[in-house]
Amino acid sequence: MTAEAITAYSNPARAVALPFSGWALLKWITAACIAIVAVFPIWWMVNVVFAEPGTPVSLNPRLYPTSFSAGISKILMIMQETDYMKAYYVSVAYSLLTIAGVLIIGSMAAFEFALFEFPGKRILFATVMLSLMVPTAVTIIPTYLLTASLGWLNTMQGLVVPGLASAFGLFMLIQFMKTIPRDMIEAARLDGASHFQLYRYIALPLSKNALVTLAILTFMKTWGNFMWPLIVAPSPELYTVGQVVGLFNSPYSHQTVDIVMTANLLAALPPLLFFLIFQRKIVEGIAMSGSKG
Amino acid sequence: MMVFPFMLLFAVFFLYPIASGLFYSFHDWNATTSTRFVGLGNYQRILASRDFEKAMWNLGKYIAITVPLGISVAFGLALLVNSFKGFWSNIFRSAFFLPVVLPAFLAATVWRWIYTPNFGLLNMILGWFGMGSINFLNDTGTMLYAAIAVDVWVSAGFNMVIILAGLKNIPKDYYEAARLDGASRLQQVRYITIPMLYPVLFFVTTYGFISALQVFDVPWLLTGSSFASYGGRQGALLFPVMDMMGRGFGSLRFGQAAAYGFILTAIIMLFTAAMFALRRKGYDR
Amino acid sequence: MAQLEITNVSKSYGAVNVLKNINLEISSGEFVVFVGPSGCGKSTLLRMISGLEDIGTGQIRLNGQVVNAVDPARRGVAMVFQSYALYPHMTAFENMAFSLMIAKEKKARIKEKVERAANILRLEHLLQRRPGELSGGQKQRVAIGRAIVREPKVFLFDEPLSNLDTELRVQMRAELIQLHDKLKTTMIYVTHDQVEAMTLADKMVVMHGGVIQQCGRPLDLYDDPANKFVAGFIGSPRMNFMDADVARVESDHITLAVTGALKQFDLPFRGFDSSLRKVQVGIRTEYVGLSEDADSAVSLPATVAFVEELGDVTYMHTDLPNGERLVVRSNGGRYRGGKECVAQLDTTGILLFDEAGERIRSAS
Ligand SMILES: Nc1ncnc2c1ncn2[C@@H]1O[C@H](COP(=O)(O)OP(=O)(O)OP(=O)(O)O)[C@@H](O)[C@H]1O
Ligand SMILES: [Mg+2]
Repeated sequence: MTAEAITAYSNPARAVALPFSGWALLKWITAACIAIVAVFPIWWMVNVVFAEPGTPVSLNPRLYPTSFSAGISKILMIMQETDYMKAYYVSVAYSLLTIAGVLIIGSMAAFEFALFEFPGKRILFATVMLSLMVPTAVTIIPTYLLTASLGWLNTMQGLVVPGLASAFGLFMLIQFMKTIPRDMIEAARLDGASHFQLYRYIALPLSKNALVTLAILTFMKTWGNFMWPLIVAPSPELYTVGQVVGLFNSPYSHQTVDIVMTANLLAALPPLLFFLIFQRKIVEGIAMSGSKG
Repeated sequence: MMVFPFMLLFAVFFLYPIASGLFYSFHDWNATTSTRFVGLGNYQRILASRDFEKAMWNLGKYIAITVPLGISVAFGLALLVNSFKGFWSNIFRSAFFLPVVLPAFLAATVWRWIYTPNFGLLNMILGWFGMGSINFLNDTGTMLYAAIAVDVWVSAGFNMVIILAGLKNIPKDYYEAARLDGASRLQQVRYITIPMLYPVLFFVTTYGFISALQVFDVPWLLTGSSFASYGGRQGALLFPVMDMMGRGFGSLRFGQAAAYGFILTAIIMLFTAAMFALRRKGYDR
Repeated sequence: MAQLEITNVSKSYGAVNVLKNINLEISSGEFVVFVGPSGCGKSTLLRMISGLEDIGTGQIRLNGQVVNAVDPARRGVAMVFQSYALYPHMTAFENMAFSLMIAKEKKARIKEKVERAANILRLEHLLQRRPGELSGGQKQRVAIGRAIVREPKVFLFDEPLSNLDTELRVQMRAELIQLHDKLKTTMIYVTHDQVEAMTLADKMVVMHGGVIQQCGRPLDLYDDPANKFVAGFIGSPRMNFMDADVARVESDHITLAVTGALKQFDLPFRGFDSSLRKVQVGIRTEYVGLSEDADSAVSLPATVAFVEELGDVTYMHTDLPNGERLVVRSNGGRYRGGKECVAQLDTTGILLFDEAGERIRSAS
């Protein structure tokens, strides 16, 4: 502020008091335009759902919602007349089980890696970290074949279990648990805590933030995972939301745009809600994975 | 030992698949009949195929545009958000980030409708300006760019957040010192922001390359979305991972698909190694 | 009766010997302070007593029992850390109750014990706060409370006051002394601050380079240090050291020529080893003055380098012609400027060390 005042003085041409300098105006316009581009497709999706079906675009360009009741009836229709609810249930189960597994298994391993020495630790850690570099492309087909030979195709465990050893999650939790002071662990040991009690009463509660962040990121990833359910659970019994949406959208689908958008909107709802509630955590989590990676 | 469950799953669902993938890649195998050793046959077959050539060509073009464009946009967005204070900074950050929250499959399907000929949103807007309808997803001249637009729309917010965190870590002192030295805003970006952000930009670029090389969801959903039909008209949106999946699940040549995975991995590793080498050179200077 | 016996204990990390053949006995109820410069192995020794660090070779006995293989939690020791190591997600009460909860004590019992400890430490009104809501001194008291609750046989403190500001440190020091009087439990305390050590200790253990240099009552160490290290480490400002030649050795005295001094002087001494030609002279600042009558004492011409004026005393840091530093103390006087001066040594305050730094004592 001070420096700006100085410039204003030393440069009489700019001393004319404008409410907005040209720079700032440009900035606001740009930001607003980009925000529209970013948000509008989602907004548009909402409008399509909450509009009377069948109105031609020329009459209703769908820039704002027009009929609340039409939207509700579409949502009810999708829920009652299609298998959407079942897909929803599958996706929720898939996400929750994955989150639980990733958190439990990951935090236990991170606890050992971050706070203790054990034989082979370095090599194990290096292997896990190297795996972060290996693209999914190389493992997806053999993993599918393995899952198939375990007889896990079209099962929930087939969906969930292969994704539980998350190297990313482990890395994130290790980074976090490393910041637990050694003194604290030793104090607890002197207080008589066993190895498991150290994990349960010290490491876990102290990593609560990281665990919540990881849970959210895992949710986002699982909910949006398209490729793995597509190949490992191709039967309609275990369709996830992603697959159903994919079907609705496919060129051979007989659904109208209203119905498709309703399906889309419902699929977008959980992550959008999560985002609204946990915005800070999500952003911090991503920023952290970026700065540490 | 509480590492055991993790390491067990890791070994079974990561290490073993890699090893078995390597094994399959040297065999002709369709998941039902017995395997037959074919040496490097799978690899040769892939490298010689037209689809591979097409996919790699598309990928090259796609990466050459998406990565620089995506990162410039993300960087610009980060600077923009950072130039606002408090409330508005948060509002714009959230708005720009919103597309990241959508699962890629949703982003693709929403955009698909936006791209629809005649009554799609985009064509409607073009219509206001008196332009004729364009079939974005079926015109080999526009398909790739349509996919890139979706990709940038989806990923810019993600990179923006990382860059923003980097920006916040640059001590204010530097800017104040530069201002006292008489640097303009642009010069401040050029001589302070970019050098200080180097590690973050490096991460974002490398990560951008790695994920662009594996692009799948968006082009898959913008085209046929099934193993019977994918890649779009004349394979204009055929990318390596799609090609690999198609060979595996479409025509059940899993040996070839496994080999494809290793070829892709080799390419990705090469890219990453090149990036790191470049970075080292950048430091030397 | 020795409650804690440490015999022939050594410890090394890889090729580095951190502790070399430590032998020490500590009686029940003593307040023992380990003191020494950073990195000398104080913490390591303390942590070996606690069981957090494996004992390399040698033995540690508590109440007659060898505890080398006993789990830290079962040794009956409690430790207070420099960083406090309070669990940030628990309230002060829960922090203090944690060990009892692990030991599956009854709720009512836990409450009673914690409240008793809180009473001793005047923490009653803070029990529901978390560490983040406590000041440094309060955190320290909670950390001590956590130790008290366990009713240990030995308290271990690792530099517990070093995160506090000077004033609070003095106050906590007084509280610790009172606490020790009240509980009468053995306390072992690590610090690198010799003032803290002098004020707290019944028994002071001076360590250097992984070796116990000397142990005993603080003033005994001050008056009668076993070697040049202890002599230099204890006392502020540091003891002065000067080289001297042994000119003559008689049965009841020796004659020394301090480098740079105007004349030789006699020092009462019995049984001097006449093969020694060179010694080091140590003399505390209170025996070095600026008196004008030069006859009785030993005079050294010196140049004033800088002066610390504290009001009641003035320390003049002077350079001798051979470049050595000599600190002169003047009680109540004020510095009036001037560069050249003549320092006077009161020979009754002189201690002798051989060239290896070991003390040379007069046979009595
Ligand atoms: N885990 C370890 N591995 C290797 N060397 C160690 C380890 N812990 C301590 N040391 C070394 O042992 C020596 C003694 O360490 P110790 O912590 O006992 O010193 P200290 O006397 O407590 O010092 P300070 O006053 O700085 O706390 C130091 O030189 C230190 O570098
Ligand atoms: Mg220490």
